[in-house]
Amino acid sequence: MQKEECREARDAGTFLILHSTFFIAAASFSSLRAAMASLFDLPFEEPEPEPLLPAEPAIVRDAPAPAASARKERVVYSVSDLTARIRGVLERDLPELHVEGEISNCRQWNTGHIYFTLKDANAQIRAVLFRSAARQLRFRMEDGQHVIVRGRVEVYEAKGEYQIVCDRVEPVGAGALQIAFEQLKRRLEAEGLFDAARKRPLPTLPRTIGVVTSMDGAALRDIITVLRSRFADARVVLRPARVQGEGAALEVARAIRAIAVVRGIDVVIVGRGGGSIEDLWAFNEEIVARAIAACRVPVISAVGHETDFTIADFVADVRAATPSAAASIVAAHRNDVCTKVHRLHDRMHALVRTRVTAARGRVHAASGRTALAGWPGRVAMRARHVFEMRHALQRAMRGRIDRATRDSTALQRRLEARDLRRRVGLARTRAVAARGRLDGLLQQRRHRLEARLGAAAGRLEMLSPLAVLGRGYAVCWDAGGRHAVRRADSLQAGDRIHVTLAAGRVDATVTETHPDDNTRSDPQPS
Amino acid sequence: MTEPTIKDFEAAIAELESIVKKLEEGDLTLEHSLALYERGVTLSRYCHAQIEDVERRIELLNERGELKPAPVGLGADATSRRGE
Repeated sequence: MQKEECREARDAGTFLILHSTFFIAAASFSSLRAAMASLFDLPFEEPEPEPLLPAEPAIVRDAPAPAASARKERVVYSVSDLTARIRGVLERDLPELHVEGEISNCRQWNTGHIYFTLKDANAQIRAVLFRSAARQLRFRMEDGQHVIVRGRVEVYEAKGEYQIVCDRVEPVGAGALQIAFEQLKRRLEAEGLFDAARKRPLPTLPRTIGVVTSMDGAALRDIITVLRSRFADARVVLRPARVQGEGAALEVARAIRAIAVVRGIDVVIVGRGGGSIEDLWAFNEEIVARAIAACRVPVISAVGHETDFTIADFVADVRAATPSAAASIVAAHRNDVCTKVHRLHDRMHALVRTRVTAARGRVHAASGRTALAGWPGRVAMRARHVFEMRHALQRAMRGRIDRATRDSTALQRRLEARDLRRRVGLARTRAVAARGRLDGLLQQRRHRLEARLGAAAGRLEMLSPLAVLGRGYAVCWDAGGRHAVRRADSLQAGDRIHVTLAAGRVDATVTETHPDDNTRSDPQPS
Repeated sequence: MTEPTIKDFEAAIAELESIVKKLEEGDLTLEHSLALYERGVTLSRYCHAQIEDVERRIELLNERGELKPAPVGLGADATSRRGE
């Protein structure tokens, strides 16, 4: 009879692994039965060993008896007996088996156990995956998935139900990793972790670069080599982490969290060299994705080769095709910023230089006009000091030339001090040329003025009272030679005086003054 | 390099850009242009100093969160030992 059931099971297409020991003491199933009892009382807990039920072995032992005497008398089972018998048969004859089917009504309870129904076109069976087994799942079970489960059939007598208690569930078709990848990707995407708006720009000036990778991998060597050649002064802080194998994801996640809080870190590169999907798996784990998303500074992912895409790549602020590429991105960004600073400086300098040159031209032109105006008039009015004034004028003009030269030199110095060296030559040439033009201009003006002064002096001489001297008059000056002496009472005996004649000058001493006498000192009347 | 009027590199480069823009637009007095220029030179110097203010080195962050110099030869190229 048990063999018949076996055959039926085989005929039904279920793959069975049969133990040769059909008559295992039923006592060994009692714990399973206890498990079944708890199974259907929701919420479920994982089965725990329970003491054997004393009645259990008796039923199994008695079972052959009614069958053997079937021809003689009617055997009436109690429901419990029958169910216990069914349970005994199922649990003994279907010890561990693999079943292929589609998942439906899949639910995970708070306790961690997963309940679902496995079905094909014509039949279905309830199934459960307890928490301890559910933890081993690499992917998330969902309705519609085509899977092969491994487990045992168990019966719950109180409800007359049976189900498969699974210890392993594997997807059919795509690998478990592939499915896990797609699922996590979909889930994080729905959460918005891949949104473009979340991506942070690289720091304006990256100076300290955090690197999370393994100490002995090719990735570290590549990153350092590229930084050496393209960003020689980079400061690198390395946080070693195992990047493959059991526990790698946890290590990588912890490393990201640890390096993010190091002072001065501007950007973090997380990655490893190429490998199989299993080798790269740590970077497809949720814990790593979350660590990247929570990182304080921008993260560049650099996992495997160009064709490898991991969850880390989707979450990172920047995805680099390879570790070398990650280092290149940082170096290029930094070099772009340096170039930008240089350009801004040069542009600013050129603009100001143009402005200063224009202003300087205007200043010289304006000061020349206003300062020189009025000079000829003043000179003409003060004929006696014509020559002194001429000297004063020349001094003043020299002063202005000197000042202009100083200004020009100072501007030139400022230009030299702030300009890039290649500009200094040009600036100096311009400064010299400007000074030359300025000197020429002032020289020209001076000549013109001198000519005018000469003419004015000539005219003045013609009209001057001094011309009267030619007719025999003399002018008497006081000792200082500043004032003409007009009154005798302004002098005393002993005062020195100067007498200007038509030709020459006489210095004399007063011997006597006659304030009231206008006639005696008159020259001989004609 | 400390420059109390400059917040950070990003602020410096942004201000430098705005100065160049103002100078390009013209219509400034000479005094204003020169004042902007002085400020621009300060900013530009700050930026250059920031760019150069990087101490080339490789450090290891250990389990206790301490920074240690990386072993010599890490990264396996000769240039990494420059100046050591």
